[in-house]
Amino acid sequence: MTEGRNPILTYLQAISDGLRSEMREDERVLLMGQDIGVFGGAFKVTDGFIEEFGVDRVMDTPLAESGIVGTAVGAAVVGMRPVCEMQFADFVSCGFDQIINVAAKMLYRQGLPVNITVRLPSGGGFSGGPFHSQNPEAWFMHSPGIKVVAPSTAQDAKGMIIASIRDPNPVVFMEHKNLYRRIKGEVPEGSYETPFKARVAREGSDLVVITYGAMVHRALEATEDLDDAEIMVLDLRTLKPLDEQAILAAVRTCSKVVIVDEANETCAAGAQVAALIAEHGFEDLDGPIVRVASPDVPIPFSPPLEEAVLPSVDRVREACRQLLEY
Amino acid sequence: MPQMGVSVVEGTVIEWRKRLGDWVESDETIAEVSTDKIDTEIPSPAAGRVVEILVDVGTTVEVGVTLARIATDARPGEPHDAERDAPQAQVAAAPAQEPAAAASPPKAPAAPAQPPRNRRYSPVVQRIAREHDVDPNEVQGSGRDGRVSKRDVMAYVENQRLSAPAQNDPPLHIESPYRADPDPGTGDGPYVPPEGRPLSRMRQLIGQNMHRSQQTAATCTTWIEVDVSRIELARKQKNITAMPLIARCAIGALVEFPQLNAWLEDDIHTVHEQVNLGVAVTLGDDDGLIVPVVRSAQDLSPEGLARRIRELARRARARQLTPDEVQGATFTLTNPGQFGSIMATPVISQPQVAILDVEAITKRPVVVTDAFGADAIAIRPMVILGLSWDHRALDGALAARFLANIKQRVESYES
Repeated sequence: MTEGRNPILTYLQAISDGLRSEMREDERVLLMGQDIGVFGGAFKVTDGFIEEFGVDRVMDTPLAESGIVGTAVGAAVVGMRPVCEMQFADFVSCGFDQIINVAAKMLYRQGLPVNITVRLPSGGGFSGGPFHSQNPEAWFMHSPGIKVVAPSTAQDAKGMIIASIRDPNPVVFMEHKNLYRRIKGEVPEGSYETPFKARVAREGSDLVVITYGAMVHRALEATEDLDDAEIMVLDLRTLKPLDEQAILAAVRTCSKVVIVDEANETCAAGAQVAALIAEHGFEDLDGPIVRVASPDVPIPFSPPLEEAVLPSVDRVREACRQLLEY
Repeated sequence: MPQMGVSVVEGTVIEWRKRLGDWVESDETIAEVSTDKIDTEIPSPAAGRVVEILVDVGTTVEVGVTLARIATDARPGEPHDAERDAPQAQVAAAPAQEPAAAASPPKAPAAPAQPPRNRRYSPVVQRIAREHDVDPNEVQGSGRDGRVSKRDVMAYVENQRLSAPAQNDPPLHIESPYRADPDPGTGDGPYVPPEGRPLSRMRQLIGQNMHRSQQTAATCTTWIEVDVSRIELARKQKNITAMPLIARCAIGALVEFPQLNAWLEDDIHTVHEQVNLGVAVTLGDDDGLIVPVVRSAQDLSPEGLARRIRELARRARARQLTPDEVQGATFTLTNPGQFGSIMATPVISQPQVAILDVEAITKRPVVVTDAFGADAIAIRPMVILGLSWDHRALDGALAARFLANIKQRVESYES
């Protein structure tokens, strides 16, 4: 990992790179999903994979999420390491039963680890409308037996897809569509794992913004130059299990907390973070825990409406300013 | 004189916080009282005007005696005799109010130093204020509506630290060591000692108790040398001091030898099953020491003991102990070894029959025997435990067996 000599990749290319490197290293890794083979995937994450690895390892499946996950669970039980792509995170609801009731509980019921990774292209910000813009991570956080990860940078995207594939139990991998081609970064060559822990995206001591995914970049922009305050941004990276130590350490340092979710507000990942802080960080708090999230409405197609619904730079900045003045 | 603890029978008024004619709020401190255990503040039982002070400063009276009278039908805001010259505006500013029946009478303008500030503080501000013994009411708030933020209280603490007299700062200049030879004529004159001052109340009480013990008990002291290697290891693992770990071993020995967990009052010998461990806490050279009590110490883990001792010491230094927290000890532990001393002959706290003294842990060469029976010299952390015991209640053999039992527990300690 020599500094400065690593290639610059987009978030999307980094995921491809991670998948490719893990497929080259481990024959048990195979991919399943709609149009991921000949077409290279709806977003071209697996472009060129079928030529390199063949139809047995890059499988075009019917449009049936339940069938994709169910088949993957069976393959995992006999020792494979399948990676399933849902074309959009929104449609994972059709595969929900296989994830929640089969994959997540197999270890508990039968002692069999289910080594599957389910990739969910998620998030809004590009007029995708109510079926193509959701952030369903909390659905899975609520179900024991599943890890939920959500990288925000190219480097983490590669390291976390590799770590997810190697993890012996089901991992739901949230990849943010709006970061696919907008975010670029230096990505180390070869194989490496990014731990399922939080990361300090920027140090600070006056206030901490706790968030993940695309909102990390929004939080960094909103607080870059805010009334001379030193604002920490904590990138959770992994939502289940939450990195409780890192969260409480940030609260101890800053004492003021803004939590940003792109997801709809009720019971979102940030609600769990807020509950954790209220219970275990109470004596470190110097103000109310403030949340910024999408209101509980479907994500609109109309660009101005969508802009009004998703947490904007202005909303995050205003929330921080109010809390700083408190 | 209120009942301040089950066994307190009398108290001495050491200060009146309110003068005759002052307005006092319910629960506001009206006087300070000293008992043989502790000094404490007396909250006013009602709101009203102090119309009579019946017990003068320095007078000791029994529990139940009336200290002062408060007129609950008085009106707040009326100047009393001492304040006749106060500006009229203050009187006019006080709203008319039904006497006594008012749910919450306004603060009297007689106490402008403490304006009514019904402020709330965030958890972190309260914690920092507590840790640094700061009254958050004193802190200027910079937040919304004058709210005190973490930054405000930290700045306040820092300012206090800076304005406190620096003790370790080097002097700005070094005085020349040259001194003129003393005038040969003055050496023969009479020595004029500086003026003496009466001992503090705390010192007097400690002195009385210690002197009584020396006159009452037939005190002997027995020492034993103990290898604390295992305690040192456990201490690092648990991130606590050695003291609670050694205390834990001593408590175990007390349960096995209850004759030392006892009181001797005249010829009545009371043996306790419950270990109420007195722990000597120094309040500084000028302020004496106090011995708060960890009750039912036999039920506490080393971590639990550490927490309890820390909390009691903190409350002791903040003068927050209640009389019940400093009595009922069945055995006492004292630990002056933190300053490096290696032996002492502690004085038993009456009516207990023994006190254990834990001295400094020092590395010493000792002879150890390996598994094959071969002797070697090793460097080991050692401590000398001193037990002062009352020969009226027990004999030297029992004291020695008790110490040997502690030694065996300390040297085979498993966390």
